[in-house]
Amino acid sequence: MTRDELQKKIVTILVDEFEFENPGLSDNLRDDHGFDSIDAIELLAKIEEMLGFQISRKEKEKAMSIRTINDILDYIETLQAAHTS
Amino acid sequence: MERRVVITACSAITPIGYGKDSIIESLQQGKSGVKPLRDDGLLTERIHSKVFGTVDYPIDYGFARKDTKTMGPVSYYACKVAGDVLTESGLSQDFIRSGRLGVSFSSTHGSPTVQRNIYKTFFNEDKSKFSAIGAVDYLKSMVHTTAVNITRMFGITGRVVASSTACTTSSQSMGFAYEMVKFGMQDAMIAGGADEYDTTTVAVFDNLLACSVDYNDTPECTPRPFDRNRDGLVVGEGGAAVLLEEFEHARARGAVILGEVIGFSCNNNGGDLILPNLDGITSTLKLALADAQIEAGDVDFISAHATATKMGDVIESQAIDAVYGGSPWVLGLKSYMGHTMGTCGAIELILSLYMMEQGFLAPTLNLEHVDERCAMLRHVREVTETRTGTSAIQNFAFGGVNTCLIITDGRE
Repeated sequence: MTRDELQKKIVTILVDEFEFENPGLSDNLRDDHGFDSIDAIELLAKIEEMLGFQISRKEKEKAMSIRTINDILDYIETLQAAHTS
Repeated sequence: MERRVVITACSAITPIGYGKDSIIESLQQGKSGVKPLRDDGLLTERIHSKVFGTVDYPIDYGFARKDTKTMGPVSYYACKVAGDVLTESGLSQDFIRSGRLGVSFSSTHGSPTVQRNIYKTFFNEDKSKFSAIGAVDYLKSMVHTTAVNITRMFGITGRVVASSTACTTSSQSMGFAYEMVKFGMQDAMIAGGADEYDTTTVAVFDNLLACSVDYNDTPECTPRPFDRNRDGLVVGEGGAAVLLEEFEHARARGAVILGEVIGFSCNNNGGDLILPNLDGITSTLKLALADAQIEAGDVDFISAHATATKMGDVIESQAIDAVYGGSPWVLGLKSYMGHTMGTCGAIELILSLYMMEQGFLAPTLNLEHVDERCAMLRHVREVTETRTGTSAIQNFAFGGVNTCLIITDGRE
């Protein structure tokens, strides 16, 4: 999946299921969209489903430093790279 | 410190309507909220009882996702009626967030719909779905889910009581809230209960041979409290909340006083967890009168628990007869909507308030031939125009828990 395709998918999820309005790639998820720890856990489950493999506990903990949509995309790309290597 | 506790707002979502006007209309016109059991794809085929007290009308919730993400269906009912109560009360935002307003609210199971989805995932062959069981599922289905979704939605910072005791859940919620305010721990409490559409509860009672099965083709003809042809209870759904407030606090802010809680009792049978117990129930009724410091003759009508089970109605009749004789009117409100489980006490208290305010008593529906073992009571058989000022609301639960709340109409 290219970065553009990934971005489209994630933004669609954030708009459709997390009620984001006009999300920007560098917006602060918490401050600008009220995204909290519960949302983070929910999103991780969706990412796991999308990727089709189980994300390890250690990898999930790394997600806690995510602040922006760009961070989410970087995170997923890192997961994909680690899984295919 | 003992303070007076008044009711300054109430709201109920019931199988016979949402809101005062619609509920009163149903009571006066004898409308039943019992409908055919919906197929949930799981148990319905196996269940003998095919009826359910159903909330089958649309409700405009208007909740934002930031709130709903931790809410199962049961919390939708809970938050809706709690929001109604706060709006009706006119309480200030400062007070709501002061720590002097608490929440006493619960349900029978948390959210069975959410729990069922968790178990479906557990037993799914496709183990990759495991991560779908998350923190949110727990927040939606834990026993105190209704209470804390209310605190979250409205920013309430006071005490939380979430006593889940099956059919006495909301009676205890209101009773414990009454005591919180009476003894000065809080100045006001939102109190009540909710339960969502749930066929597993029907299955449990069905297997205990306690559910109605003879009226599957005529749902409005069951349940039949005190009737000799009654054949068991009908499970129902709903949500109800009252605002209990310290009298001087309510008066100082000019609140409309709808009623007053003057007594509460709660005890346990200390033995069998299912069978009704005459001594335990009789004792509860007496304890409530003692707490209210009134005589049996002061009570105008009794909202009986009256689930329409074969033994339960007889034992309750005997207890009422032992404590009150035949003087107060007796009615069974479950005849209109079935047994709304954790919600029933709050719904029955609110309907009692409505009847006191409107000056009528609603008859027990489907009471065509009174069981001779229940005939010593003064049953309400038709819509009766009468001014009443004091009512006892009785509820009994699996686990041997008994409660009784005594309220007055609040007129000075």
